[in-house]
Amino acid sequence: MEVDRADGRNPNQLRPLACSCSILHRAHGSASWSQGDTKVLAAVYGPKAGTKKNENPEKASIEVIWKPRTGQIGKPEKEYEIILKRTLQSICILTINPNTTTSVIIQVVHDDGALLPCAINAACAALVDAGIPMKHLAVAICCCSAESGYCILDPTKLEEQKMKAFAYLVFPNSILSVLPEGSSLVQGEPMEHGIITSVTHGAMSVDDYFHCLERGRAASAKLSDFLRRSLQSKLPGDLSKAG
Amino acid sequence: MAAKPSTTTTAKATYSPIDPTRKTRPPIFSGSDVDWLRPDSRGFHQCRPAFFRTGAVNSASGSAYAEFGNTKVIVSVFGPRESKKAMMYSNIGRLNCNVSYTTFATPIRGQGSDHKDFSSMLHKALEGAIILETFPKTTVDVFALVLESGGSDLPVVISCASVALADAGIMMYDLVASVSVSCLGKNLLIDPVLEEESYQDGSLMIACMPSRYEVTQLTVTGEWSTPHFNEAMQLCLDASAKLGKIMRSCLKEAASDEQE
Amino acid sequence: MGLPNASEDLSSEMEVDAFRRLFPLRYFERHLAESIRPDARSLSRARNTTISMGAVASADGSALAKIGSTTMLAAIKMEVMTPSLESPDEGCVSIDFHMPPICSPLVRPGRPAEAAPVVAKQLSDTISSSGMINLKELSLVGGKAAWMVYLDIYCLDADGALFDAALLSAVAAFSNLQIPTVSLDDGKIVMLPEEQKEENSEKEPVNKEKRKLTLGGIPFSLTCILHKNYILADPTSEEESIMETLVTVVLDSSNQLVSLYKPGGAVLAYTSAVQDCIALTRQRVKELHQILEEAISGMEID
Repeated sequence: MEVDRADGRNPNQLRPLACSCSILHRAHGSASWSQGDTKVLAAVYGPKAGTKKNENPEKASIEVIWKPRTGQIGKPEKEYEIILKRTLQSICILTINPNTTTSVIIQVVHDDGALLPCAINAACAALVDAGIPMKHLAVAICCCSAESGYCILDPTKLEEQKMKAFAYLVFPNSILSVLPEGSSLVQGEPMEHGIITSVTHGAMSVDDYFHCLERGRAASAKLSDFLRRSLQSKLPGDLSKAG
Repeated sequence: MAAKPSTTTTAKATYSPIDPTRKTRPPIFSGSDVDWLRPDSRGFHQCRPAFFRTGAVNSASGSAYAEFGNTKVIVSVFGPRESKKAMMYSNIGRLNCNVSYTTFATPIRGQGSDHKDFSSMLHKALEGAIILETFPKTTVDVFALVLESGGSDLPVVISCASVALADAGIMMYDLVASVSVSCLGKNLLIDPVLEEESYQDGSLMIACMPSRYEVTQLTVTGEWSTPHFNEAMQLCLDASAKLGKIMRSCLKEAASDEQE
Repeated sequence: MGLPNASEDLSSEMEVDAFRRLFPLRYFERHLAESIRPDARSLSRARNTTISMGAVASADGSALAKIGSTTMLAAIKMEVMTPSLESPDEGCVSIDFHMPPICSPLVRPGRPAEAAPVVAKQLSDTISSSGMINLKELSLVGGKAAWMVYLDIYCLDADGALFDAALLSAVAAFSNLQIPTVSLDDGKIVMLPEEQKEENSEKEPVNKEKRKLTLGGIPFSLTCILHKNYILADPTSEEESIMETLVTVVLDSSNQLVSLYKPGGAVLAYTSAVQDCIALTRQRVKELHQILEEAISGMEID
């Protein structure tokens, strides 16, 4: 079952990715991430001393500030902030810098669908750029499910509105390790198949959801590779900053 | 006129189909005010049946729910707990009060915002009854939410708050019982409902400690003659003594339930 | 692993309450190992749930839902609006979720709770995705007037699984909704006074038949905690604060997945865990459906 997409992509094809790190001078770490026309800028400040009220001072705290392209922040942005915060908390090692706060500022440059996944990818790259200790990287992807049960990846805004339902999924980055194959299996599944975050909109059947999950996982491997390559490429030039 | 329909087509301005202008003043001012029946067919000097229940909110140190006719409120008490960091050292405890309304408390949907006047009046009514010396350096928070407003909201909140404080085990000299009286023409109406309050010429509210026969707060609005005022005051004091008994029996019941 | 062992030695002499406060995670894990929770529930059991309809007299529809001690009061107020140009024959539903300071020691006046706007957004997303409400039914006069439904949910007591209780109260309030009879008067919609309802001569009500909404697929939800290999259904606030990975599954009556919400968390959800959560939700949907039916029929007898 094939349906033509407006930009001529096949269902599993992602839009062109671009990532550049350390683009802001004042921030401790920054990155811009774009998927097609959707572009997000992330800046990381910290770790700064002290945590806010109601946060556990025995752990490092992460604060996310979402800046929409125009206007004030509303309920959707508040929700994005919380989802992003919880997602980043689960990939960072919070016990290394207790009683500190790391601020992540997300500036939306252009929204053309899959905004939250794009922001998560940007934030992840910026955290690495700032040298915040992390357990592993995370990659986020958006899958759309149509009435007929087929699914497309990385939709544009128009596609998001047209489709019956969509899911934002975040997976851990595949770990390149020296351990023998299969040692990182959890419950019979490789570690990168676990879901860090899942947010869905619209009703779909349970089977459709698992179908999306499967497609998302397959595509996340490609995203992982891209993220890893773009982070590695900047390493040699990073000596000045590390000192 | 908050309920005016919007003239622009795009704005999401809405209005309630209940027409606020339709109501006319009751014939009470036409002179023959003997026939006037109260909306809930009570006598002029008769209070609404009062109901209290403690332990309405589990996550609070103490709480109470009160229902007087259509007036329904919940009060939670937190603390004594750490004062705000900005606060200076204090030998005695602090009391912090807040009263807010739900959006559906009034017949026409409101904003559901904090009620600053009531918050400070609640504070003043309770302050005199609480033994603040028993919790130095710390704060007791008294938060009230009016679920439904059916008239005499503040007196109900004050009485309910004192039951909640007792439930939280905060030391007090006595319970605070509060009753209000509305003056319509020549008549005194005790425990007025919302409709009566909207026509009132004057009102008087007393918060007092019944067993000590002491007043913690007295609020008067409108024009009163001295004999009229004395009558209203006596009426309120008598009613608060009765209300105090009801509050006491509610607390006793809760305590005996716990022992079983 | 020196620390955990040290705590174990201490714990044998410590009082249970002190142990619970000092080593909350260990305290819970000891229970979990015995497949029981501190409140004597089994891992997959939800707390006692009750619904009472028509709790607010001044509202057009209302319900009070309790899951354990988590209490939600939902009330609907209907107002009239001019429909937008894009959808002239549709009404609108506006959902708000409030956490007043009475509900939890963490909320202070003037500083709204962080969770409140997020739950509100989740609720409006869930209710619009489920297609429970047909917005066309809310139209009064095509292009001129339509109902604006204000649903306000107040959390009176916060003890975990806030979204589940809020959604339940919202659904119950919608099934309790009685749309007021209104008539067109001078281009403005006004309420028909009670006494005029029977022998009304000149003012014809615009919505005589449509006093109730027909609800489509009704969504119900269940929140679970993932901790190691355990799945705990319907967590209390204490459990939520100690084990932070939450998964909320929303299914409608025809078992369509309306939402699967997992905002981060230290534990990764693998396919099997997701399937288990969905299976638990399926059971819970049946339970909740029955509780709702009973609450509705209880109203009709009165």
